[in-house]
Amino acid sequence: MQQDHTEEFIPYIVEARPDTGLYNAKFGIWLFLASEVMLFGSLFSAYILLRVGSFSWPVQSEIQNVLIGAINSVVLLTSSIFFIQAWVALKADDIPKYKRFMALVITFAFIFLILKGVEYYQHFSHGEFPKTSVFLGLYFLMTGLHALHIIGGILVNIYYIGPGMYLRSINKQWFINRVEVAGLYWHFVDLVWIFLFSTLYLL
Amino acid sequence: MEQHSNETDFKRDILIYFTIIAMTGLIVGISHLQLGVRGIFLIVPIACIEASILAYYFMHLMSKKKTVHLVLLLTVIVFINLLFWPAWDVVYSPRTPSEFTKY
Repeated sequence: MQQDHTEEFIPYIVEARPDTGLYNAKFGIWLFLASEVMLFGSLFSAYILLRVGSFSWPVQSEIQNVLIGAINSVVLLTSSIFFIQAWVALKADDIPKYKRFMALVITFAFIFLILKGVEYYQHFSHGEFPKTSVFLGLYFLMTGLHALHIIGGILVNIYYIGPGMYLRSINKQWFINRVEVAGLYWHFVDLVWIFLFSTLYLL
Repeated sequence: MEQHSNETDFKRDILIYFTIIAMTGLIVGISHLQLGVRGIFLIVPIACIEASILAYYFMHLMSKKKTVHLVLLLTVIVFINLLFWPAWDVVYSPRTPSEFTKY
């Protein structure tokens, strides 16, 4: 095992800062998530204003595949539960279990993307494109941006069951903290989907 | 996630999981009632409760430090401004809806 001198050079990567009560990465991810709230918030704001300002608006549930949207909600939520279990296993030093649950998280994320792809395909085959209407423009923009976040999350999760595990050999707690931070991001992506589903499919 | 180390937490998480799924089912059901604008006043609050439960338990906002709450409070204030000022512009500007959609 390598000697851990990292904490000597970069403080608070494992231990919490006395003033904030958080280690660096956790403080960083919460600031990042705050900026993400702004990003998606501006799009929700645009949605509300454009809808209020429009003479007509489609009945969204009639042009959307609500069933796939609802299934995707369950898929993402299930992946969140798996992520918590992966993190618990990692804390218990049960690496095979950690990898199994992380693999499930990644699998469910891919299922989400496949279902999203099916939805997009259905829209395109009906001649519904982003340029077709204001609603569809917003729908593709917001769900597309969310899908990019899912892809980003998948890459991070793959990293943490693959090459990123080298960190564990340097400092176990450091690695556990990194996975916790990735988990916070993953739950946030799930949280955004709750609003996207209710706003773009049901209202 | 500090507290996820025992069986009780797992049971609680599963309970939260099924609660959120049930609430998702509820808003889908409400949307089928074709309540029009009134549906917004039911669906949006339920979605907000769903998201709050997820943040509170899965993201452990219940046990987070003051710093995180301050960051989130600031975010909420800025977000409300983000919604309020354009809405104020729409309500009080002399533009008609048709003019609005031009922009």
